[in-house]
Amino acid sequence: MSDLYLGEFEQIVLLAILRLGEHAYAIPIRDEIATRAGRHVARGALYTALDRLEQKRFLRSRMSEPLAERGGRSRRYFTLTAMGLAALRESRHTLLQLWSGLEGQLES
Amino acid sequence: MTRRAQGPPPMAVRLLEWTAGPGARSDAVIGDLHEEFTRCAERSATRANVWYWVQALLLSCRFAAQAGRSTARPHGRARRARKNGDSTVRTIGIEIRYAFRALVKRPGITALIVLTLALGLGANATIFAMIDALVIHPFPFPNADRIAFVYETAPSSAFKQESVSPANFLDWRKQATAFESLVALDWWDASVVGRDEPESLQGFRVSADFFTTLGVRPILGRGFMPDEEVPGHQRVAVLGQAVWQRRFGGDPGIVGKTVLIDREPYEVIGIAPLGFDFPNGTQVWSPLALTPEQSANRTSHYLSVIGRLRDGRRLTDARAEMSLIGDRLRQQYPEANKDRGIRATTLAQGMLDEGLGPVLSLWQASALFVLLIGCANVASLLLTRGAERHRDIAVRLAMGASRGRIVRELLLESALLGILAVPGAMLAAWVGLQVLRGAMPAKIIRFLPGWNSLTIDVRLLAVTGALALVAAALFGLVPAWQAARPRLVDTLKEGGRSSTSGGGRQRLRRALVVAEITLALPLLVASGMGATGAYRFLNGPQGYDPDGVLSMHTVLPDARYADATARRNFVTAVVDRLRGITGVQIAAAVNIRPSHAGNVRRTIEIEGQPIVDANRRPDADFRAATTGLFDVLRIPLLKGRDFTTADRESTQPVAIVSQSLARRHWPDVDPIGRRLRVGSGPWLTVIGVSGDVVQDWFVSRDYPTLYVPYLQNPTGNVAVVLRATGDPAALASQARAAVRAVDTAQPVFDVMTMREALKERTVGLRFIGGVMAVFGGLALLLAIVGIYSVMAYFVTQRTHEIGVRMALGATPGDVLRLTVSQTGRLTIIGVVLGIVMSILLARLIEAGLIGSASSDGRMIACVAVLLALAALAAGYIPARRAAGIDPIAALRE
Repeated sequence: MSDLYLGEFEQIVLLAILRLGEHAYAIPIRDEIATRAGRHVARGALYTALDRLEQKRFLRSRMSEPLAERGGRSRRYFTLTAMGLAALRESRHTLLQLWSGLEGQLES
Repeated sequence: MTRRAQGPPPMAVRLLEWTAGPGARSDAVIGDLHEEFTRCAERSATRANVWYWVQALLLSCRFAAQAGRSTARPHGRARRARKNGDSTVRTIGIEIRYAFRALVKRPGITALIVLTLALGLGANATIFAMIDALVIHPFPFPNADRIAFVYETAPSSAFKQESVSPANFLDWRKQATAFESLVALDWWDASVVGRDEPESLQGFRVSADFFTTLGVRPILGRGFMPDEEVPGHQRVAVLGQAVWQRRFGGDPGIVGKTVLIDREPYEVIGIAPLGFDFPNGTQVWSPLALTPEQSANRTSHYLSVIGRLRDGRRLTDARAEMSLIGDRLRQQYPEANKDRGIRATTLAQGMLDEGLGPVLSLWQASALFVLLIGCANVASLLLTRGAERHRDIAVRLAMGASRGRIVRELLLESALLGILAVPGAMLAAWVGLQVLRGAMPAKIIRFLPGWNSLTIDVRLLAVTGALALVAAALFGLVPAWQAARPRLVDTLKEGGRSSTSGGGRQRLRRALVVAEITLALPLLVASGMGATGAYRFLNGPQGYDPDGVLSMHTVLPDARYADATARRNFVTAVVDRLRGITGVQIAAAVNIRPSHAGNVRRTIEIEGQPIVDANRRPDADFRAATTGLFDVLRIPLLKGRDFTTADRESTQPVAIVSQSLARRHWPDVDPIGRRLRVGSGPWLTVIGVSGDVVQDWFVSRDYPTLYVPYLQNPTGNVAVVLRATGDPAALASQARAAVRAVDTAQPVFDVMTMREALKERTVGLRFIGGVMAVFGGLALLLAIVGIYSVMAYFVTQRTHEIGVRMALGATPGDVLRLTVSQTGRLTIIGVVLGIVMSILLARLIEAGLIGSASSDGRMIACVAVLLALAALAAGYIPARRAAGIDPIAALRE
């Protein structure tokens, strides 16, 4: 269970990737986070988070063919692993558990 | 900017690749950035470039940090990185981080070093920016290096570059093949009449292909057409941006309109692009239309000639060809072209002030001196720190670290210090340039092509960065080398007891103190020379009384004042009117007043003294003066009489000569009644001898001068001077009005008191002196800080020793004497060497600034004493501390 623990920013990144499906590489991920969560993430921070999530095996990445509009470089596409999905599910479950019954106190 | 960016800035990409290292991940990151750049560039290429640079810098910092973090301790990490076959880039990244940490650990010393370097580098950057703008790229048009300046030479002339006669120019133009085009320029004092008062503008009459030759296209309208070089068709003009904005409100419909210049209607056919004012701040250009008789004239030399080299031809080709043409013209016209040659040179050499090079080199050399002094300070601070890290380094060496590696680390620290100083240096340069810009009067800027483009740019940044690295190598190498070769066993055995550090290091530090004094002294002497020179010029005896005098200028245009009588009438009427103003004691006119930038010098012949060498005729400054000039300026009349209104065109031609002229040519006889003549003009009878006047402190002090009555020699150039009973400046508007009352369209300029004129004349020298004073001040400051820090360090190092001495009976006085005498010895050596350097530098300055500044022994001695006192004072404070050491505490430590 502790293996599956996700920080808030990690959750946001994973959810953004999940939303984007096949098209998830760094630029759209950043855009998705900006439009959905209203957060502007520093490029460096995002790359660090992606690397860390891949190290934790929540993510897996593959390289595309080299593209002319990128100066002949590839895109790095991310997809969630089964472990990543499980971790997301786990966090959602935990949070919902904690939320239940508190709506009345916090809505005002 | 409309240029579409092809891709991100390659330098930034390389930086990223370098910091990120190879691999698919970094490839993806750089690719992402590229993709976003392309998006961004669709809106604005410039903004995209800036954006990319910012991102590249941010990300590469992150990469470098990651490279560091992925290792536990710097050294082990670096070694492992290397073993793993990782890039050496990473190793260096780690070493940079390590060096950075070492600097941050001592923020005080680091800040002091960075500040010192920033000042030294900033001084250099400021002067380099000036050299870049004024000497390397002074002209406001593309490919200025393809433009040549072509001139005549004559051995008999006082000038290296002679102007060109029209007939010769036309022959050159026909015969020269090395040039795509040759263009003649003729100085033109244009007076423009508009809505307001008439205004005198710098103009040039130029050959029709002037603009195409320079590759400049008017922003409105067109340049000149070949048929406009024909007399009768030349009443067209191109105006400069400044005058178009100022006098015509930037009217976009000006092309095709008519303006009055020199009272003639000119059609405006074009407006020059912004910043184009070649040559000499010109604001109006008109075609040079040579009449048939001018075209045949081979004896009046008044044209300047420039030409664009044909593609593929070099200046040397042009030189060879022009010298052949010169031979040919000499044979063809042996009379007119006797001894005359032709030479071609670069535009910069032809058009720039000869004094500029020496002055700027002097400044750059001074700035380098300041930087060297700064480097000496930094080196001594690093030595101090090296001594503190002595044991640390010894331990590492004992554990097997290589000496090369430690030297490299320490050098990296130095390089880092240098680079950290660059932003501060750029800021200092910016401030310096702002100050210089504010201090330079507009009148001089006109003759400094390139001044307006003085700015901080990428090139300056690159040069400063490079200089910072050179400086880092200079101040870093010796301390690094010293630090890396401690006597291992000794150092480790010392067991941390603070005792006097090694003899070599001591000697080195002493040498640095001596070097600082040696370098600072000549700078102080140079600034002293500038200051005393300027003071003397302003306040020294001028030969006339500049107080209470107002002067103004006007140039009578040939078009309207071709007739000598018209000029006589104009000047007489103006002087009469001025004399009628209440508050004016007396007024007069002369072609050239003292301290005027221009001069008129003529060859003369003394009756009864045959000319031996035709190439070495005697000459004299030529002045055409109305009555009253000697009273207005209070130039003493030593003998004979002044001009009177009876000396007219119809009476006997007369002259007054200066004392220096009389002494030179009639040393043993009374000059009154003797005769001389100008060129081959009529003989003039000497009626008086006047005192000498300083026309110009730089080139003609007490030069032989010849005065003739204006009525007998009505020149077009007129300076009006008047002596006021009260404040002369208060009469300015009335004086202007007096001229306007005589001729409404005649522009008056340079209305100022003689005091102001003197000040303006010496502004160049004061400017030079001011800059030198800044350098001198910086040098003094840095030297004092350096001496203080070294002596303070000695005292700290010797606390224990001093404690022992005092315990054994030395008094505080003994200790004070010991420490001060040490400073004293170093100071004396430094001052002696500095005096030698000063004398050499003073010689150099005297040679460069033609007699404007003279060194004298007293000044050097004063400066030396001042510097020695400052040095002793800087050494005294630590000495006091040494004397106050408590022996018991010192021994217990």
